[in-house]
Amino acid sequence: MSIFGEIGRHTREDMIDSDRLDRLRRDFHTDEFAIPTPQCLDPEIIAALAEGTLDAAGRAGAVQHLAGCPLCRRAVASVAAALADGPVTHEIEVVEGRRRRRGPVLRVAVSFAAAATVLLLLWSPAADRFTGHRGPSPPPPATTPIPRSPVGTVAAVSDLRWSHVAGADRYRVTVFDATGGVVFATEGSDTVVAFPDSITLVPGASYLWKVDARTGFDRWAASELVAFSIAGPRRE
Amino acid sequence: MEPWQAELNRSRFDAAWDLFLDRYRRLIFSAIRHYAQDYDDVMDVFAHVCEALREDDLRRLRAYSQQPVHHARFSTWLVTVVRHNTVDWFRHRDGRRRLSTVANDLPPLRRRIFEHVFLHKRSHVEAYELMRSAGCVDLSFGEFLVEVSATYRAVGDGRRGRILRELGGSTPPLADVEDEAATVSERREELALALSSLSADERVAVELYVMEELPAETVAKVVGWPNAKAVYNHVYRALAAMRTRLEQAAPRDDR
Repeated sequence: MSIFGEIGRHTREDMIDSDRLDRLRRDFHTDEFAIPTPQCLDPEIIAALAEGTLDAAGRAGAVQHLAGCPLCRRAVASVAAALADGPVTHEIEVVEGRRRRRGPVLRVAVSFAAAATVLLLLWSPAADRFTGHRGPSPPPPATTPIPRSPVGTVAAVSDLRWSHVAGADRYRVTVFDATGGVVFATEGSDTVVAFPDSITLVPGASYLWKVDARTGFDRWAASELVAFSIAGPRRE
Repeated sequence: MEPWQAELNRSRFDAAWDLFLDRYRRLIFSAIRHYAQDYDDVMDVFAHVCEALREDDLRRLRAYSQQPVHHARFSTWLVTVVRHNTVDWFRHRDGRRRLSTVANDLPPLRRRIFEHVFLHKRSHVEAYELMRSAGCVDLSFGEFLVEVSATYRAVGDGRRGRILRELGGSTPPLADVEDEAATVSERREELALALSSLSADERVAVELYVMEELPAETVAKVVGWPNAKAVYNHVYRALAAMRTRLEQAAPRDDR
């Protein structure tokens, strides 16, 4: 397929097709390495672009340069990613006074406070009257799907199941053989998909499968690859 | 004004440095750890960053401090400077042939690719020609690119991968095996032309959103658009414009 076909099919509807986006990404690489020039942006402008604080006039010139300079684009993307990194964000908030760093005294105080809270919960008469949920708080919503079955050695595979991902509207399942060849691939909105009878899985052979959950526009969260094999005949 | 800046203004550089480091040590370390994971690497990069910031009586800090207007917060500027120095340090170190542990684990062909592409900054075509002329590779260019892609994937995993990706430039083309060099080059030219038809902000948005995979919210901040939705809309329109341009530029050959 030519590049014209690739881009030509890249309509609003199929833009969410990640395979096609991946192909597009490859083709966007018009330069592998760039040489710094005197026009390259200084660290403060890169910082301002990454945090979005550059004024309109300054941004116009900087964006003009970014359009033609992969080196500076990479730097802006890199700094923006670093700023979104939890530990970096935390330390910035600390040095800017938006968050306090816990010192030894504070840590001790917090420990005492936590212990006191536990004691109050244990001894308070109100606790005896409490009839609501007493278990641990529910876990945070999963951000990646977890393959549930098949896992390990199984007698047969009639379907593939995985855990729900909050906010996911579509799932993409792929089964590979031991050589990495795709045995089966499909998409759907449920967390289970039937495995077609027409595909023969060889007893004793190893297979891998994974599921990707679409969590937003062109955003897919991939599960770990999970191995399974068939102990006996595929269908009972 | 922060105490270290006050000391800097009095030209008491050692005192300024001590105060600066006391305040920003943790931020510097966290920024370095964003790119490097090995303890020894982190400590060496930290020393390199300190050396760079201290040189010439804190020239960089003085230059920042003396600017009448600042476009970015000091902490973001510092993260940017740390990032640049971290990349420089790894580039310099690997330039002296100290391959990372990851690279050492690569099979011979991919290690050679790593040397050419990451250390010597060769393009993929150059690396291919050099290795072929040295008799190191007996593959078509398409097959070679598959190996290049595998090398990127191998060294690009995990936190260490962040710095290696920085050194290696853009992610390599995951070219189809049947692609030959001329076809790849031709396709790139076509796309470069199509990209050049976009406005600067649209091109930057497409590059950052599609290529660098930055969140749309972040791209909006960089380009100066109001929100993520504006990014989606602009990127859609930009891709549609590229499609039109490509369709007009060439015969329809695969419809």
